[in-house]
Amino acid sequence: MTMTYIDLDVRPILRAGGEPFEQIMQTISSLEPGKGLRLYATFEPTPLFHVLGSKGFTHEAKSLDGGDWEVLFRPTSTATPDQAQALISPNDDSEWPAPSQHLDNRDLDPPEPMVRILAATEALKEGEVLSSLLCREPTFLLPELAKRGHRWRGGFEADGKTYKIVIRVGARREAMA
Amino acid sequence: MIGASLSRWTMSYFAAALLALLAAETLMASGYGFPFAELRSVETLFLVHLVALGWLSLLMSGALLQFVPVLVARPLYSDTLPLPALLALVAGLIALLGGFLQLDGRLTWAMPLLPIAGPLLGVGFALNLWNLGRTLWPLRGLPLPARFVVIGLLSVVVTVALGIVFTLVLSGTTTNERLIQLTAAGVPIHIIAGLGGWLTFSAIGVSYRLLAMFMLAPDVEGWSVRAALSSGTLALALVILGGIIAVCHGLELNTLLAAAAVLGAAALAVYVFDVARLYRARKRRHMELNSRMAGLALASLVAAATLLAAALARGSLSHDVGAIVFLIAFGWLSGLGLAKLYKIVAFLTWLECYGPVLGKTLTPRVQDLVAESRAAKWFWLYFAAVWLGTIALMLDATAVFRAAAAVMLAASVAIIAELVRARCLVEVDAANRLPAGAHRPRLFLCVSQQT
Repeated sequence: MTMTYIDLDVRPILRAGGEPFEQIMQTISSLEPGKGLRLYATFEPTPLFHVLGSKGFTHEAKSLDGGDWEVLFRPTSTATPDQAQALISPNDDSEWPAPSQHLDNRDLDPPEPMVRILAATEALKEGEVLSSLLCREPTFLLPELAKRGHRWRGGFEADGKTYKIVIRVGARREAMA
Repeated sequence: MIGASLSRWTMSYFAAALLALLAAETLMASGYGFPFAELRSVETLFLVHLVALGWLSLLMSGALLQFVPVLVARPLYSDTLPLPALLALVAGLIALLGGFLQLDGRLTWAMPLLPIAGPLLGVGFALNLWNLGRTLWPLRGLPLPARFVVIGLLSVVVTVALGIVFTLVLSGTTTNERLIQLTAAGVPIHIIAGLGGWLTFSAIGVSYRLLAMFMLAPDVEGWSVRAALSSGTLALALVILGGIIAVCHGLELNTLLAAAAVLGAAALAVYVFDVARLYRARKRRHMELNSRMAGLALASLVAAATLLAAALARGSLSHDVGAIVFLIAFGWLSGLGLAKLYKIVAFLTWLECYGPVLGKTLTPRVQDLVAESRAAKWFWLYFAAVWLGTIALMLDATAVFRAAAAVMLAASVAIIAELVRARCLVEVDAANRLPAGAHRPRLFLCVSQQT
């Protein structure tokens, strides 16, 4: 089966210092069934792999000359959203409020970053947003956030070394209420 | 879900594996198998498979079920398959060991066990391969450490397939000329695919990520990891694919093995260089016991590679091969396995027990679950005994080897006792042990609380 792709080049936005996330999510939500997205970016957009992975897209990333990346996002027909995936709203591309708390957990010994982030989320009110910098992907934190009904967006910054996670507290409880 | 949670059966794999380790060390200490029997004797086969399948493969399988999801930040495809896989592997191992005893004449049971062992082991490995494969499959552009694991998994397919052929030939189930030829000449391929491909390649992949994680070092990526991966893969392909073709055409394996040895040594050199960089780049100044002991395992790997090169140069490989394989199995793979188990068991127990209440109440730290200074002595004793055992094998000092094996056994028992203490939260002071909402871990089962 050949897949047709919608092209989206976010390199100009990134080079201008902008944030192309909203535009990417808009393009994704307007995709017709069976179509994929071909994305051009100035770095390997690992954050998107996870966000779009949770929406049932697989990805194939290829580095281009000059340090740019081409990524093909394909919808998987076999993707059945499991219980945990359903915790992330499929249309979670809404604007989030600005973070009311920032943590820099880059130099802490694991699992201290996870402990601190979970402690911070307990102190925040529903709907408030927390951002944190980490030195790696918080693999074990994410299921804990899901269990507590928080939403998150996360990924490596353009430097490829700093992982930034933004967590919206209790968004699931809010949505379910 | 994005991210990785606890793999339910990983602790059961670890428990079964550790039992096999103790059994194997007991046999060595009591003078069973090589060096007390011939390298190719049935006794040695029994011992080698108890170690390679019972201890190392179960350990690696349990670890991969937990850590492949961590390598690729995706949940495991199935949480139900690991149990039937474990049962099939254990049943297969018991049948295989029983089959060896039948070959030896020590077990006189009418039902032939070898032809049953092959398929059972095949099913066990296949279930785990399917599970891990389905976890990895949807991802394109796998992270480099996960690619090592993929090569490891492909190698286990070859190892098991050859093993099944051997059981069919040895039990007399088949008299196919080609398969008999393969059994006669294919043993080096079976050993290299198993120890080098499946166990060492998977261990390298997992260690790249785990060492970086535990020492707070930036992940090593780029040309060097790619070079290690491609050179090592090429070495394995030469041995496995080239080797099988050569054996089937009745050709000599030696040139092929020598070429593969050069490529494999290059891969190993790059890996050791990478890991040394990792240790230097770590942000965590005080190294935990698991990272220090992983260093001793790596030193054993380098020593084994050096001994191999020396034996090839001197033409003494047929004499030294036992010592070299022993050092790879017990110094490198078992040493690394025990060192990482010490961290993994404590961390998984901590996450299982306190995960649900993290941030909500004061919880013990991971370090509070272990007593590193006490455990360190046992680890040093273990490694010292392994190195002494290796020297004893090189010098044919069988009595010394027996004593070394007894010390290994004692040290292993003590390390396992440390793991059980961590699992039972014995080190945590009673007042903080179980805050409200935390749940007490079971010894052999991880229960990840779902909401």
